[in-house]
Amino acid sequence: MSTDETTAGHLQELRRGTVVLACLTRLRTPDYGYALLESLNGLGITVDANTLYPLLRRLEKQGLLTSEWNTDEARPRKFYRTSDAGERLAAALTADWHRIDEALRRLTTGDER
Amino acid sequence: MTDTTLTDRYVWAATRSVPDGQRADLERELRERIGDATDALVQTGRTTADAERMALVELGDPAALAASYVDRPLQLIGPRYFLTWWRLEKLLYSVALPLTVAAVLFAKLISGADLGAAIGDAVVVGFSLAVHLGFWPTLAFAVLERTPGRSADLQWTPDLLPQLPEVGRPGRRGELIGSLVFLGIFAVAIVWQQFGVIFIGGERQAIPLLNPDLWSFWIPYFLVLIVLEMLFAVAIYAWGWNWWLAVANLVLNVAFVVPALWLFTTGQLVNPEALDVMGWPWGDAGRVIVPILVFTVIGVAAWDVIDGVIKTVRGRGSAMPTLGRI
Repeated sequence: MSTDETTAGHLQELRRGTVVLACLTRLRTPDYGYALLESLNGLGITVDANTLYPLLRRLEKQGLLTSEWNTDEARPRKFYRTSDAGERLAAALTADWHRIDEALRRLTTGDER
Repeated sequence: MTDTTLTDRYVWAATRSVPDGQRADLERELRERIGDATDALVQTGRTTADAERMALVELGDPAALAASYVDRPLQLIGPRYFLTWWRLEKLLYSVALPLTVAAVLFAKLISGADLGAAIGDAVVVGFSLAVHLGFWPTLAFAVLERTPGRSADLQWTPDLLPQLPEVGRPGRRGELIGSLVFLGIFAVAIVWQQFGVIFIGGERQAIPLLNPDLWSFWIPYFLVLIVLEMLFAVAIYAWGWNWWLAVANLVLNVAFVVPALWLFTTGQLVNPEALDVMGWPWGDAGRVIVPILVFTVIGVAAWDVIDGVIKTVRGRGSAMPTLGRI
C-alpha cells in the first residue's frame, strides 16, 4: 500500500463520523439527497454519493432523521429532516468534537495538564 | 410505450431481490438518485445517454446495492462466525476424519478383504467424508450468517486458551516415571511368563506363554530394547524432545514392531503348548483377533512416533524440520 493510499484511508476514517454530524446539523432544514451532497461538498466536507445515500437511510432507520416524499415536481424526491433524537445526538457529537479539538490542541502545543 | 432505459433495467435488477415491502421505496429512491446524478452530469456538457451511463457506473453492481439496502451479507461466513467455523472444521478434519478412515480400514481388514482393497475403500470413504465435513458445517454457518437475531452462544472465553508447550523438566517428570514403570513391568512380564501365566480352573499351568526357543536370541533382544527405551525416556527427561531423539524414537519403534509382528504372524512368538492349553484357535475368532492385534500394535507405534515429532516441533516453536537442524 502506497503512502497516498494510507493517507487516504486514514483521512476517510477521521471524516467518517464528521459526515454524520454534518448531516444532522445541515438537515435541520429539510433537504433531499443530491442537494445535501452538493451543499456539503460546497462547504468542503467531501463525501461520496455512495457513502451519503446509504448513510441517510441508516440514520433514518435509527430514528435520527425523518423523511417525507415530495411529489410536487416531476421527479419525486425524498426529503430528510433531523428528528428530536437526531438533534440530541448532534449536540452530544458537537460537544465531543470540541473536547477532542481542545485535547489535540493541547497535545500539539505541549500544554498537557 | 417508450423503450426501456438503462435506468429501468438497473432499477429492476436492484429491486427484484428485495422484499415486497421495501421494493417500491427503493425503486423511488433509486430513480431520484439516478435522475439527479444524470441531470448534474448533463449540466457539465455530456449527452443524456453518456450521463445516465456514468451515473449507473458510479452506483455500481445493483446486486451489491440491494444487499446493502436490506443488510444482506455479501460474504459466505463473516467475522462474527468465522473463528467458530474455523475451529470446528479443524476439529472435524483432525479427529473425525482420521478416526473414520482408520475404522473403515480396520473393518475391511477383519472382514477378510486384502490390504489393497481395504486401503482403496478407506481412501474413497475418507475423500467423500472430507467433502461432507467441509460442505455441511459451512452451509450451516452460511445459513446462520443470514439468520437475523443475536449471535449464537459460542463466545470465546479464556478457558479456550491453548496450553503452553511443556518445556520445563517438572512437566516431564510424570512422563519419565510413567515410562520407566511401564517398561519395568513389561520386562518383568517377559521373564515371568516363563514360569507360566495361564490359569485353568484357578490353577497355574507351568507352561511358558512365549516360545522358549526365543531365549536363544529374540527374548534377550527385546529385553535389551527395553533397556534402550528406558535410556531413551531418561534422555527425553534430561534434554527434552529434539530431532535426534525423534529419529531415535522412530528407530526404537521399528526395532520393536517389525520383529515382534514378524514372529507373531509367522507363528514363532507364542509357545505351541500354551496355544494347546488355551484351546487356540478359537473357531473363527482368529480371523478377527489377529488383525486387531497387528493393527493395534502398528497404530500405537505410529502414534508414538507422530507424538514425538509433534512434541519436537512444538518445543522448538518451529513449523518444519530442516536438514541443517537434524
